Amino acid sequence: MDGNLETLELFLNFGFPLLILMIAYFIGSHIEKRHFRDIRERETKVHGFPVVSFNTMPDDWNVSSSDMVTGSIVISLDYFKRVIAGLRGLIGGRIKTYEPLLERARREALLRMTEEARLQGYDAIFNVRLETSRLANARRDGKGVAGVEMLAFGTAVKFASRFANS
Amino acid sequence: MRFVAKQPKEGINVSDTHPLVEASTLVVGLTAIFVVIVLAIIFMIEVALFFVSAEDEANLFGDWLPEDLITVAPDDDRLVEIQLLVDRLARHWPDSPYTFRVEIDDSETANAMALPGGLIIVTRGLLDRVESENELAFVLGHELGHFKNRDHLRALGRGIVLAMFFAVVTDSDVAGIGIKATDITIRGFSRRQETNADEFGLAVVNSEYGHVDEAWRLFERWEVENDSVINLVTYLSTHPESGDRIIDMKRQAEAEGWLLTGDVTPLNW
Ligand SMILES: [Zn+2]
Repeated sequence: MDGNLETLELFLNFGFPLLILMIAYFIGSHIEKRHFRDIRERETKVHGFPVVSFNTMPDDWNVSSSDMVTGSIVISLDYFKRVIAGLRGLIGGRIKTYEPLLERARREALLRMTEEARLQGYDAIFNVRLETSRLANARRDGKGVAGVEMLAFGTAVKFASRFANS
Repeated sequence: MRFVAKQPKEGINVSDTHPLVEASTLVVGLTAIFVVIVLAIIFMIEVALFFVSAEDEANLFGDWLPEDLITVAPDDDRLVEIQLLVDRLARHWPDSPYTFRVEIDDSETANAMALPGGLIIVTRGLLDRVESENELAFVLGHELGHFKNRDHLRALGRGIVLAMFFAVVTDSDVAGIGIKATDITIRGFSRRQETNADEFGLAVVNSEYGHVDEAWRLFERWEVENDSVINLVTYLSTHPESGDRIIDMKRQAEAEGWLLTGDVTPLNW
């Protein structure tokens, strides 16, 4: 009787949170893998489209029109990443579980910006910048992060004559 | 300058450590650190106890009453009766350095505590639940046992140091893991303390009444009461070993040849 209770208690104390953690991990990593696959596919599609960070336009670009283009993504941590990052916060070091999250955010934001520029018929983007901001609080006590926003923006240009450049 | 289109490079911004490897390393490592810290705290308290004698403690905390820990029940007539009972029971521990004092805590939950300086706290909830003097005498004898073994100082010291420790660790998820690791580490120690206190309490009851009838009846009733699922979680956290305790006490009584039945003294209220 008491042995069973103890097993149950051990489960309530350790097994249950571990189960939640594992569920969060499997769902989170599934979504992450799918996202990376999607990013790679779309990156192949926009392959060759010049996206550069020069803040002035290269001299030999002969452009007819320009506009600012943006791409942004808001992305959230899963419970697994949050817990592991919390543990990491005690001793310091690379928060390895956050790295792929921010990598996804960066590439997705750049992709969205590029796709937007292509959709509007532009030929290249220069002066590309990335900005990030912490978004809202996940918990009632004001601690915790609900997610991050990654914003990519730049100046998209349309070449006057497509083959006058390069 | 020529523009050469490239695909983004992968694997520079993202570590190739598998998340589960990272997770298990952190969980196992930090749990080990927690356990080591808790054991170090326990050891330091033992050292402190070695230097502070029970006499010093009795002098130091002789009239201490932690008002923020307990709410003294206003004018409970039962207080006088309990104080008399404690005085009677304390006679079976003649060389005790303490002058025992009893206070009733105005709380619904059934509980009793031993605090520094010989202060015994019983809750109103406990007094409402005991059905004979023998039941109450065992609970009080058990608390006397804690004084005898100086567990009350250990518990208090651990509580204070751990509270300080967890004040530093503010992340609730992390603190949760730490508390669980601590709980498991301490449980082994506290279980032995409870067993020792039970043994002392039972011996006191036997000396006082000449038998141990109804000494553990309170626990037997609790076991039945707490069989519902809703109470399970609180039951587990506060009385992890109720069933084992009864078995241990029966065994002790049989080994000592104490009478299992006798005249039960009714309560005076
Ligand atoms: Zn106890």
